Amino acid sequence: MPAPGSADIRAADHGGGRVRHGSRAALARWAPLGTGLAAGALALGPALGPGYVLRYDMVFVPDAPLTAVTLGGGGGFPRAVPSDAVAALLGRVLPGDLVQALALLAVFAVGAAGAARLVPGPRLAPRIAAALFYVWNPFLAERLLLGQWAVLLGYAGLPWVLRAAVRLRGARDAPRLVVALLPAAVGGFSSVLLSGLVALPAAAARPWRRAVAVAAVVAGCLAVVALPWLVPALSSAAGTDPAAVDLFAARADTPFGVAASLLSLGGVWNAQAVPPGFGDAAGAAGRLLLSLAALAGWGWLLARGPRPDFAAALTAAAAAGFTIALAGSGGPGREVLRAMVGLWPGFGPLRDGQLYVAPLALLQAVGLAGAVLWLVRPDARRGAAAAGRTAAVLVSLAPLVLLPGLAWGAAGTLRPVEYPAEWIRVQRLVNDDPAPGALLSLPWSAYRGFGGADGGGTVVLDPAVKLFGRRVVWNDELRVRDGGEVRVVRGEDPLAREIAPLIGADAAPREDAGLAGRLGALGVRYVLVDHANSPDENRFRLSGHGLETVHSGRFLTLLEVPDKHVEAETSGLTAAAAVGWSVTVGAILWSIAVSGSSLVPMPRTPGGQALRRKESTK
Amino acid sequence: MIKILAACAIGAALAGVATFTMTSIAVSTTTSSEPVNETLYNYGDR
Repeated sequence: MPAPGSADIRAADHGGGRVRHGSRAALARWAPLGTGLAAGALALGPALGPGYVLRYDMVFVPDAPLTAVTLGGGGGFPRAVPSDAVAALLGRVLPGDLVQALALLAVFAVGAAGAARLVPGPRLAPRIAAALFYVWNPFLAERLLLGQWAVLLGYAGLPWVLRAAVRLRGARDAPRLVVALLPAAVGGFSSVLLSGLVALPAAAARPWRRAVAVAAVVAGCLAVVALPWLVPALSSAAGTDPAAVDLFAARADTPFGVAASLLSLGGVWNAQAVPPGFGDAAGAAGRLLLSLAALAGWGWLLARGPRPDFAAALTAAAAAGFTIALAGSGGPGREVLRAMVGLWPGFGPLRDGQLYVAPLALLQAVGLAGAVLWLVRPDARRGAAAAGRTAAVLVSLAPLVLLPGLAWGAAGTLRPVEYPAEWIRVQRLVNDDPAPGALLSLPWSAYRGFGGADGGGTVVLDPAVKLFGRRVVWNDELRVRDGGEVRVVRGEDPLAREIAPLIGADAAPREDAGLAGRLGALGVRYVLVDHANSPDENRFRLSGHGLETVHSGRFLTLLEVPDKHVEAETSGLTAAAAVGWSVTVGAILWSIAVSGSSLVPMPRTPGGQALRRKESTK
Repeated sequence: MIKILAACAIGAALAGVATFTMTSIAVSTTTSSEPVNETLYNYGDR
């Protein structure tokens, strides 16, 4: 029952119509966000429970350290900057597993609310259709199963970036764009690249003088949010192996070929990162038809419907992204990409082609809303109107029906596990030691089998990479099975390349009485051995490499290089990196303060004008 | 008329695909072949 003087009672005084109108307005405001949260809860399911969901690149840890290394000061390519730092910062006030659950849920909530806002017109049904499609499609499912939560944050922010970039008139509007770029800023380099792919065409879609000026503002905003990873990346001396273009190119994950897979927003390079039942011909055909219907809806919006002001920009971004994705799949396009990556490592991100269909997902989401708009157009014939509404409901629910494998943690694929207590003990031992020096993680392999009660589980990036506040040296070469053979992509970390000659074919150090001295000279203080993943799990307990045992347990052995050998300095941020962080954080805080932000549209005043806060989020 | 046909076609197609896909998922989750317990783990398989 409403409280005396409440808005509901005041509305009731003016008749039931006001109450209904108020309820509808509230529903319209909150329904897209609610759709995203509901879709997220359904998709993540058990992953939202206690424990950590570990899968490929997705590694959250308890008591994640927030040190200069996490901020990008450890050397190597800052692939997890600033996402790890943000997770660690939130981990100061929340449990790490809750941080992970909130981050994953945010992808669904922010993405759905943003996609709904792009739908022209006041009707709720098309907004819900766009919201659901944008957060329930093969692209999101596959990137989630690849563990790329930081990329998905950037994906969720794309509709907000597009909206802000299209409405950009000059530098004074920059704070709105910076706020819209916040998810991408957290996500890191891939997220910022995706945002650029959407924002720059939005800037360019105007007369050329204005386009140049606005594009400069967009580029400036992108650079500002990119500084935390851009500054260390430019000084990291990291390289990219052109062979990666072959291994990370889009592939056909449906029976209809690469182009059709990409068109239906699939095509991820990793065959293990598709939801259960994904490759079945019936489902694949249904998803392809849904994408074609969405494209038809987009065409109708552009030709006859309420044409959105971002039409040209989003069409250009989606076409460019689709071209990049398709280029790497074979033929001369792949040769060009390989040559580009060989020429300059900065082209390295182009190797993962499927990533760039993200703008196409946004276009199809709005296009599907267009199809729903067409179906629910007023029709004088009673039967036709009812059929249109029925068809609209079915089309809106089609993403769920055609991709049921995403539900409930991708049918249990995403399930939380607890870290063994021994891992936490070793984490404390290392993090409590103020002495400088890196930690070498063995076996010399980037990925682990982790978390299963039977000793198996899922494949995940070595958790040691995230557990420690000092630099962790690990084998960042990537092994990918292609056909019958395992191919290796050269790693990016120069220090790892220096250590590699000390390691044998069995992923353990070669027999060498001087190993401690050699590791110490390279700045290594600790050696961590994960026995559960070691080809020869007893070897490190017994061998005498001149290392001192700090911890020896069932899962882990922690060895220390004698202090006399270690030539290391405390890792710290360079002055340039510190300035970069300061500029980014300062710009974001200032932008939030001056622009305001909301996931839901603010109510309009009686005169039809939105409140100032709503205006600020346009 | 076109909307009536569309509603019928979409409904029938979704029902058919849902039935087929759910059956397929039920089978695939019981015969999952996640590559675990290997000597060294790959980043993925193409």
